[in-house]
Amino acid sequence: MIEIKNIRKVFNAGKTNEFAAIDGVSLQVDSDRITVFKGPSGSGKTTLLSILGCMVRPTSGRIEVNGREITSLPEQFLAEIRRSGFGFIFQQYNLIRGMTALENVMIPSYPTGERRSSLKKRAVELLDLFNVSHKAGSRVEELSGGEAQRVTIARALMNNPRFVIADEPTAHLDTKLSREFMDIMLGLKTEGKTILIASHDPVVCDSIAVDRLVGMRDGRITTVDDRR
Amino acid sequence: MTFIQKQRNILDVALCSLLRRKGKNLSLVVAYVFVIFLLSSVMFITDALKREASFVLKDTPEMVVQRLVAGRHELVPTAYAKVIGKIKGVQSVSARLWGYYYDATNGANYTLIVHQDLITSPGSIMVGRGVARHLSAGENGTIPFKACDGSYLFLEIRSVLPSESELVSADLVLMSELDFRRLFQMPEGYATDLVLRVRNVRELSTIAAKVVQLLPDTRPVSRDEILRTYDAVFSWRSGLVIVIFAGALCAFLILAWDKATGLSAEEKREIGLLKAVGWETSDVLLMKFWEGMAVSLVSFLTGIILAYLHIFFTSASLFEPALKGWSVLYPDFRLTPFIDGQHAATLFFLTVVPYTAATIVPSWRTATMDPDSVMRS
Amino acid sequence: MIFHPAIIALSAGSLLVSLMLLYSAFHGIRILRNWDMGSGSESQLQLERRTYLISTLVACALGFQLLSLFLFIHTVDCMSGLFVGAMCAAGSLKVNPFGYPAIVLRVINSILAGQWLMINHADNKAFDYPLIRKKYGMLLVIMPLIVAETAIQGAYFMGLKPEVITSCCGVLFSADSEGWASGMAALPPVPVAIAFYGFMAATISAGILFYTRGVGPYLFAGLNLCAATACVIALICLISPYFYESPTHHCPFCILQGEYRYVGYAFYLTLLAGAAAGLGVGTLTPFQGVESLKRIIPELQRTLALVSILSYSGFVVVAVSGILFSNLRLTGY
Ligand SMILES: Nc1ncnc2c1ncn2[C@@H]1O[C@H](COP(=O)(O)OP(=O)(O)O)[C@@H](O)[C@H]1O
Ligand SMILES: [Mg+2]
Repeated sequence: MIEIKNIRKVFNAGKTNEFAAIDGVSLQVDSDRITVFKGPSGSGKTTLLSILGCMVRPTSGRIEVNGREITSLPEQFLAEIRRSGFGFIFQQYNLIRGMTALENVMIPSYPTGERRSSLKKRAVELLDLFNVSHKAGSRVEELSGGEAQRVTIARALMNNPRFVIADEPTAHLDTKLSREFMDIMLGLKTEGKTILIASHDPVVCDSIAVDRLVGMRDGRITTVDDRR
Repeated sequence: MTFIQKQRNILDVALCSLLRRKGKNLSLVVAYVFVIFLLSSVMFITDALKREASFVLKDTPEMVVQRLVAGRHELVPTAYAKVIGKIKGVQSVSARLWGYYYDATNGANYTLIVHQDLITSPGSIMVGRGVARHLSAGENGTIPFKACDGSYLFLEIRSVLPSESELVSADLVLMSELDFRRLFQMPEGYATDLVLRVRNVRELSTIAAKVVQLLPDTRPVSRDEILRTYDAVFSWRSGLVIVIFAGALCAFLILAWDKATGLSAEEKREIGLLKAVGWETSDVLLMKFWEGMAVSLVSFLTGIILAYLHIFFTSASLFEPALKGWSVLYPDFRLTPFIDGQHAATLFFLTVVPYTAATIVPSWRTATMDPDSVMRS
Repeated sequence: MIFHPAIIALSAGSLLVSLMLLYSAFHGIRILRNWDMGSGSESQLQLERRTYLISTLVACALGFQLLSLFLFIHTVDCMSGLFVGAMCAAGSLKVNPFGYPAIVLRVINSILAGQWLMINHADNKAFDYPLIRKKYGMLLVIMPLIVAETAIQGAYFMGLKPEVITSCCGVLFSADSEGWASGMAALPPVPVAIAFYGFMAATISAGILFYTRGVGPYLFAGLNLCAATACVIALICLISPYFYESPTHHCPFCILQGEYRYVGYAFYLTLLAGAAAGLGVGTLTPFQGVESLKRIIPELQRTLALVSILSYSGFVVVAVSGILFSNLRLTGY
């Protein structure tokens, strides 16, 4: 569970172009749910996700992840929390070119110093789960859009996180692949993962898998639609 | 164990990242190798020359006595030998005859030495390989020497000297005393200098003091002093050359700084991704450290090996003229290969250390990139 | 000044280390003045990021420092041929009054920088930077010492006058420049041996006690200092003659030469590691009480104690095997 209280994120503080991308948001993200943030471009969805995902510190406000206050933790500990607690799926898949799909999946676990063989085993299992294990040895440039997306999901799950965060995950996918993506998310939810998605794609927002739809505009939450 | 595994994992990513940007890193490595090659060549050659010199000097007598007149070298009366021979602790004294001869037709300098044991009959000589090669004369050939009265002296080569250390024996001509005196019209009863053998090396300083006391116009020079001077001169030369090359080093450091600072958009995206998925700043720093290590190690080894080949197998073809001096008689001498830890450590401090220092700040800048930057590309 | 490549390398290296520390100290002051853990502001974030830079700089500087310590000794050793009467580093260092201060300061600075890195390591593991002020305060103490070291080393190198034959009349032989620490060398071997083995045994036992039970950190650190001193004295007066196989040769530097299979490096490396790690146990003890370090420090101390014990044991093993396999027998012992 993540709880944020009165979060503000101000860019270029003190300068003439000071800008509050998030302006006083309080929210509680429940476990084992799919929450979707919906809003026009520039409404602060990405910023909010990066705060929820412990990537950036808010300018003010409090964040608690599983009851632990993390607002003033040094970056190093945020990295640790990110590594063990969160999996990220980006709009641009952000796979590292020149490396194989398998290596890309293993990357989040490298700093843990886990044995190479056990890392490999886990990565192959994940690729297998998403039916891309036949591409494990190929470089990521050679993957199709759908395959790349699934490798990205495998990478997000590598450290077995509680939370999965996806920013505009279907922006580059056609309707069929987008539906497939939502099915995968639904599967993950039933496995006990908490999923946060930012999107304005109707395929995502109207999916039956979504438990809660949060509307955003100008850095504030406008509507909260609990579907369950 | 986890520690080592972590290093291995991160090293893996670092190597992969280096190989992906071959073009960019190759130019850096080439410059790096070049700098190390230059510096280590200088150090190799001066050290080899130094060793060569001490190798030769090992067999020279413990002390040489010269005579000074108005601060300049003069011939020593052989009678001095008797005086010195009486000093306690002196084992033997002998007079030496030697000098330089400039061969105007060939433009070469020879070192002439009288050697009574090897050359017993007047008219014959032994020559070093350099001389033989230069005159394209072999055994039984004759060499004309122009005496100081303008007449010519034809001397027959009895044999060519076998050379252990060619650098030193190349320009040697061994001849008889009679020929030597005739060539330079040197009066009987005088010699170039005197050499002493002493019973106990520890007494050298007392003996030297006695010599000066008995014969105030002489100057005793000990072998150790010659060695010391050689050492200082050679070190000084190589130090000077290194300072001259400091410009090249600086240029290289600026290049390294520039390469480390100017990250491509793709590299930035990759670092951002690593940080986003849970790599800490220190992990990225570690990766940068391994990258630098890999570049340094490859360049260091390549540079040293190239320099080694250059100095000891191609006879320092690139800067032979600069370092060796005056004689034209050394076309293909071979230096004795030699390398030690001090070389490596010195080179390390002159190259790897500044390189590392120059890349710390850029690496840190890279490593502290915002992890959320990857969400905004 | 002798224009030797190694001297240029050492001077350049020291200058670089000094610059790195000056830079770190400069940012250390900024951190000391503006640090505000509670603030989520951009400037606080920048300061936190600076701490990584400073850690990296000091760690690198220490690495260079250690490497150059040995290059320094080796170079000084090699240069002994240049000075009349000098047979090894002991003589070369005596050529002018800056030699010994330079090397002593080098050793002290290496140990101090090691202590700093230990504190830094512990601090970085805690989530609230508990030692940040102490740490950067200490950095401000180390920095001038390093700068002084560079200056003294520079003065030493500048003051080296090579003997050139043409400048003198060859009578410049002085009998020898021995006599260094002759008092130490003249100590009777039996009491020194007792002190050496006694302190070693005591330190290693205290270390094991600390490692297993976590008791007596100060006892261990204190004994550790005595043991380090005993090691140096024993090396000069007791151990080195066995390696030279000559009862009158006491030099602590000649054992660094190839003739004696560079065994000196083994001695000094183990001694330095043992002393620095052992001292670290004591240095960290006052911070045991800090809430966020309660679990971190004891663990780190145990590791350090282990390193120290192993290093000292290595020292003793090398020394004893040298004594056993030597052809020399000191009479009455
Ligand atoms: N680093 C930054 N500096 C200044 N402004 C920023 C920065 N990042 C985001 N913003 C601004 O914050 C606002 C919200 O951005 P974002 O969270 O990306 O919105 P969304 O994802 O909903 O499109 C935008 O107007 C954007 O220009
Ligand atoms: Mg966005």
